[in-house]
Amino acid sequence: MALLKLENLHVALEDGTEIVKGVDLEVDVNEVHAIMGPNGSGKSTLAYALMGHPAYVITEGRIWLDSEDVTELAADERAQRGLFLAFQYPHAIPGVTVTSFLRSAINAVRKARNGGADDPIAIPEFRKTLLAQMDRLKVSRELASRYLNDGFSGGEKKRVEILQMAMLKPRMAVLDETDSGLDIDALRVVAGGVKELVGPEMGALVITHYQRILDYITPDHVHVFVDGKIVESGGAELAKKLEKGGYAPYEPEEVPA
Amino acid sequence: MSRTDALAAYEKLPIPDTTEEHWRFTDLRGFDPESFEGAASAEIETMLDLDVSGFATVTADGIEIEKAPEGVTFEPLTDDNERLYSLVGWDEKFAAHNAALWKHGLLVVVPKGVVLEKPLYVRISATGQTFWRLVVVAEEGARASIIEEYASPSPDTEAYSNAVTELFVEPAAKLEYVSLQNLSQETWHFANHHARVERDAELDWVAGGFGSKRGKTRIQNDLNGRGATSRVTGAYFADGTQHLDYDTFQEHIAPDCESDFAFKGALRDHATAVWRGMIRVEKDAQKTNAYQECRNLMLSPTTHAVPIPGLEILANDVRCTHAATVGRVDREDLFYLMSRGLTRQEAERLIVRGFFQEILDRIELEPVREAVTAALEARIPQA
Repeated sequence: MALLKLENLHVALEDGTEIVKGVDLEVDVNEVHAIMGPNGSGKSTLAYALMGHPAYVITEGRIWLDSEDVTELAADERAQRGLFLAFQYPHAIPGVTVTSFLRSAINAVRKARNGGADDPIAIPEFRKTLLAQMDRLKVSRELASRYLNDGFSGGEKKRVEILQMAMLKPRMAVLDETDSGLDIDALRVVAGGVKELVGPEMGALVITHYQRILDYITPDHVHVFVDGKIVESGGAELAKKLEKGGYAPYEPEEVPA
Repeated sequence: MSRTDALAAYEKLPIPDTTEEHWRFTDLRGFDPESFEGAASAEIETMLDLDVSGFATVTADGIEIEKAPEGVTFEPLTDDNERLYSLVGWDEKFAAHNAALWKHGLLVVVPKGVVLEKPLYVRISATGQTFWRLVVVAEEGARASIIEEYASPSPDTEAYSNAVTELFVEPAAKLEYVSLQNLSQETWHFANHHARVERDAELDWVAGGFGSKRGKTRIQNDLNGRGATSRVTGAYFADGTQHLDYDTFQEHIAPDCESDFAFKGALRDHATAVWRGMIRVEKDAQKTNAYQECRNLMLSPTTHAVPIPGLEILANDVRCTHAATVGRVDREDLFYLMSRGLTRQEAERLIVRGFFQEILDRIELEPVREAVTAALEARIPQA
């Protein structure tokens, strides 16, 4: 089985409105898949549901991670098993520095993987890794002692998302509109950061409206996502086709009133 | 004034009930001050590990001066002190009770120009009826820190604690005053803390409220000389069925003064809190800069917090601002942290810690900051 497998996944809002209407998808390590769709197609809902957001209810179908059914697991348990979501709108947590947050998160994952017993990362090792990753992702060192995402620019937030990913070393990374609000330099750094991590240890699912980010991370598979469903799948060339033709050919025809 | 007058005043005043504006949210039904008479004294454990220049312990048996600093008055307070009652008299029920019955108190006088590097520390163990009184005088140009800690010998100690503090910050002096309240949840606690800050003097005050069953802590600062500043930083945490009540008063009498009161509190289970702030700017207090803030975080749906800011401005060239909020841990923030592998409890802990950080950053004395941090941490359930 692929590392991540979605089986007939249906997702509804708390009021019962169905947003994701049956998705089948397999993403393995060493692979980059892109899900491309117009605004309102349910892409972000799919991303949140994969991560276990309590406001999105899985009404049907299964999510498998590393051959384990994680459909019923909470977000922290999914993260501890190696799932990661880079948020479109990362949250600010005032009073909690990037450094202390990252250390807490790493230690939480280590603890879970150590059968519930504390196994904190050694501080020198943590610092060394953090500084190396910050430099690599061109994150200003000054951000390490700032409060998480508090007053960060859009670009800083996205870089810090990728920094978190690099520090937590997930097995499957889901990137939700990571390219939105990024200038070309930031996009290059962020995409480069993701690309370097994809390999025998990690696969990635890139969710995006535009194919811009795919110029920097070439996808192995592209899926067109419209109205809660994958309507077409193909290789990297499909992204180019979408860029020219847009999503209109996939949208349901408007019925005159 | 005599003890008899104070006792008469106490007996004449009824126990306040919720029809009085200042007691609207603090119901004292079930409180009988006389029912706590005659309990044995006991030692307490401290919140703080400090290198101090003066240290005193207080129990029902008396005050013990364990260490006194050189060149500074640090001694039992006596009835004939001329400063006594000048800030807190006996016009209020609990102030009157204290004036009538206090036995043990501490007098601190830091003489003109003396700078005390290490803090002074007094620890009060509340059992039975504990009436405690503190008078601090920082004379002109003096600098000192005093830490006062209220605690109980055991978590189930039932007691009535009544504390009065009168602080005199003379011209150009700087006083740091830390009041940590870590009483048992079966202790009724009534405190009247009042400071007068003179010309160019500075008062830096930390109020930590973690224990007690119910009661009221009144904090008043008089900005009495041109250029005086006062800063009060409050942190509180209540759980179970605790009820905390802070009644603060920033009284601007002289011009060109600054006051800055910032409180943050978290509540869980069925705990409740009321915070009342009043900034009064008298008509001569032009160029006043006053701020008050109270922010609450509710960690359970069954808690309740009432922050009530207030302004009364009689001068016409002032700057007064206030903020009051009651919020919950944001579900999206929790999800964001949990998506990184933190359990719900760990994520909540981090958010609560972050909430208090801004307040903790205001505390200058490191051991105090650590003690307040530890007291807060201890109240958030362990992950």
